[in-house]
Amino acid sequence: MNDTGQIDWGKRDSVVGKRLPRVDGGERVEGTAIYPADMSLPGMLHAKTLRSPHAHAKIVSVDTSKAAALAGVKAIVTAADFHDVPAGATIPMGEAGYDMWMVARINIAKDKVFWVGQPVAYVAATDVHIAETALGLIDVVYEPLPAVMTIDEAMQPTAPVIHDNVITTGLDQAPHGPSNVCSRALIERGDGLHEIAIKNAAATGVMDATIDTAHQGYIEPQAAVAQVDSNGMATVWVATQGQHTTELMISRMLDRPQSRVKVVPVEIGGGFGGKISIHGEAACVLLSELTGRAVKLVLTREEVFQGGSGPPAAARHRIEVAADSDGTLTAITGVYRQDCGGLPGLPASLMMQASAALYQCPHLHLEGYDVVTNKPRTEAYRGPGGIQAYFAMEQAMDALCQRLDIDPLAFRKKNATVTGATMPIGTPMPPIGLTTILDAVGAHGCWTDPLGESEAAHLKRGRGLALGYWRGTSMTSACHISISGDGRPMVTMGSADISGTRTTMAQVAAEQFELSIDDVLVVMGDTKSVGYSDGAAGSRLARTMAAAVVEASDKAMAELRRRAGRLLQAEPETLIYRHGVFEAPPENSGVTISLAEIMQATLTDGAIVETGVSTKLPLGVEVGCHVADVEVDTETGQVTVLRYTAFQDVGRALNPTAVEGQIEGSVVQGLGWALTEGFDYGDDGRLRNASMLDYRMPTALDVPPVEAVIIETPVPDVPYGLRGVGEVPIVPVGGCIANAVARAIGARVASMPMTPERVLQAVKGAA
Amino acid sequence: MSAAVAKTVITCHVNGEEHTVLGDPRDTLLEVLRDRLGLTGTKEGCGNGNCGSCTVLADGVAVCACLVLAGETEGMQITTVEGLTLDGKRHAVQQALIDHGGTQCGFCTPGIIMSAVALLETNPQPSDAEIRHAIAGNICRCTGYEKIVRAISAAASTNAGLSA
Repeated sequence: MNDTGQIDWGKRDSVVGKRLPRVDGGERVEGTAIYPADMSLPGMLHAKTLRSPHAHAKIVSVDTSKAAALAGVKAIVTAADFHDVPAGATIPMGEAGYDMWMVARINIAKDKVFWVGQPVAYVAATDVHIAETALGLIDVVYEPLPAVMTIDEAMQPTAPVIHDNVITTGLDQAPHGPSNVCSRALIERGDGLHEIAIKNAAATGVMDATIDTAHQGYIEPQAAVAQVDSNGMATVWVATQGQHTTELMISRMLDRPQSRVKVVPVEIGGGFGGKISIHGEAACVLLSELTGRAVKLVLTREEVFQGGSGPPAAARHRIEVAADSDGTLTAITGVYRQDCGGLPGLPASLMMQASAALYQCPHLHLEGYDVVTNKPRTEAYRGPGGIQAYFAMEQAMDALCQRLDIDPLAFRKKNATVTGATMPIGTPMPPIGLTTILDAVGAHGCWTDPLGESEAAHLKRGRGLALGYWRGTSMTSACHISISGDGRPMVTMGSADISGTRTTMAQVAAEQFELSIDDVLVVMGDTKSVGYSDGAAGSRLARTMAAAVVEASDKAMAELRRRAGRLLQAEPETLIYRHGVFEAPPENSGVTISLAEIMQATLTDGAIVETGVSTKLPLGVEVGCHVADVEVDTETGQVTVLRYTAFQDVGRALNPTAVEGQIEGSVVQGLGWALTEGFDYGDDGRLRNASMLDYRMPTALDVPPVEAVIIETPVPDVPYGLRGVGEVPIVPVGGCIANAVARAIGARVASMPMTPERVLQAVKGAA
Repeated sequence: MSAAVAKTVITCHVNGEEHTVLGDPRDTLLEVLRDRLGLTGTKEGCGNGNCGSCTVLADGVAVCACLVLAGETEGMQITTVEGLTLDGKRHAVQQALIDHGGTQCGFCTPGIIMSAVALLETNPQPSDAEIRHAIAGNICRCTGYEKIVRAISAAASTNAGLSA
């Protein structure tokens, strides 16, 4: 802040932009951070979930009498005990709202089950072993129905229909009956001349890709503790990405007024999109209400994988792109199909737009479908749908480059979108630094260093490049700032912290108040102590919460200035503020007063508590470019990633260590899905690799050092010019590794993960 | 019908203290630590030895507490993350993870710390490859391991009295 109290965003940078250590690091390394599974309340009961063994079945009857008679069992609930949430019910969340009927069914099946692991009943007992035994005593009679496990099967005209009320929307002619296809989305540009453009092109690139379901892989299984007290107030401690949206979901599911639900966000052991929906919290509240005791529910790892949570979508995408002989793109076309899992509604539009957003191209024809199958309901994972779509798109582009014998970086530069260019949906591209990123790639050793020789003839090396884009969102963030008796600000955030936001918001507040980060306290508020905020998702939190913190800081500083003026007997606007001290101008008296002194002198005059709210802040879209070197063992199909460099435009890095951490972590998640992570469903609908042994996530030995290169193109009209950070770094990874592998072995692997078997098949095909 | 199993007396030495609790013969060391001794720093990520979140030291050796029956630990000195801070001073690995951004959600962190502590006891100046090998049984989903490896390396340097 300059001397007249006006804010010069980002001009001083004594705290913002610095690599400060996490403010909450101490409790993490000492093991004192509290996650819900760590909690213990007096008299607490333990809940367990009875889950469907069938992928598709009618629930004929549920008999809980034998289980209820077991000593130690205190309550059992089934669908009959839950309020009926009608189809079409939503809760406000973002532009489109969030399907509440879907949330209800994720938490308890009613009349039918749609995937192995869908909850059918919950038991609360005095210990976990008794609860588990009780599950075995609940008699459920099912009438199994034929199950559909893949997109291709589900789209067959003769496929069994999973939901009678799913009638495909968006078709030119409305269908005469239900199917497993929920909707068709269409993005077109160029007067329908894309087919001619492809026919006349100098070259085309095609990729017909299959992407298996994977999982967000958070190390902490879902967990919650609920307690309904003697006044009927339900408190829920939960590892959630959004305390307010969790409150909304619990309230709607139980038909309980929001004022009678308090959600307390505790530490969360990874979310990545998978802990937005509730998974058992409402059931815990119901069990607590019935028993008068606290109830704790902790999922096992097997439950998390075997239908107890929502993985990201499997996909089948066929992309065809075309260009002139000089590499100018003339057409991007694609048929995209993404897998909703067992409940409908995952429109393809956002994902399709993202897949083509970074290219300027006169003809677009993108057609997308969402399809139900008898697998767990899909939920979000870091830029939902992005890495899958980019696996297909970036391979098609790379194949085109190979046909034209054009350098893949030069090709991207030639066709890169720029600020103001028209996006696939027709709106102008907001400010981005894609060409800046591409220039940085070209100047970096990851592009200019030689690939190096392998040590043996059967080991082949290749270098791949891929782009990534994610739009992110803004939605609503709120905070309040109160000034303690010692003059130090305390920020209460309305959203949960899943990426280090307590630290970055402490930096923002410290910058605004010109204090050290140690003088600022930041906490996550529960839903009764802080205003509504949407959850930590969509790469929105640091940017929008910073705006809320700036607003609240301004208001608090203004009030402090007024009080200082009164105490110093000077006009408030004439006071000079520096680092926690107000000074009267020299011609007045030059007397100073600190924030602590102001508060001590005015404590009983009224608290200083100021709010800040940000809604619909301009977007800070996310852009990245990744480069990887791989070595493929053509005898075993094993792919070793030798080097990985991720370039990303973050607008402004509030804390470069935190930003790099997001990028490095996302890249390794992407490497997992690219090479070893894929769900393997049997024909009976059971997941065959529902453990961390067989669902193979990367270990420290599987990945190279990842270098994150931060580019900063600030976003106008956004505090500190911040962009979203957390989602786009996973988006390019599948395509990047695939392109490196293709250049190593001379053939493309069309399935993700690119397991050794699949790589070997491609090698043999190329031989 | 009763699901009750006869309780059993379990004695463990944890972080230098002897504890005697009434438990279930099926209890793992992890369950005793968390549920009966209130030492919740050690986490459960998978329950069957694949994620490393429950890593503790048994006589200085890194083991998965979920794979050890509590009844087997008689005579063993168990060290958990809660036992590392001595006289208010953190272990070098703990401090380095904070300083180098090696912890994000924190759920894998106690297990990683115990594996790293065990490593540095036997190999005070490990290479990056040796560090990665030592923590290969600890799955981290947030960091990509990059800053964890740097932190452990820095902790080794700190221990040796060299500048980090």
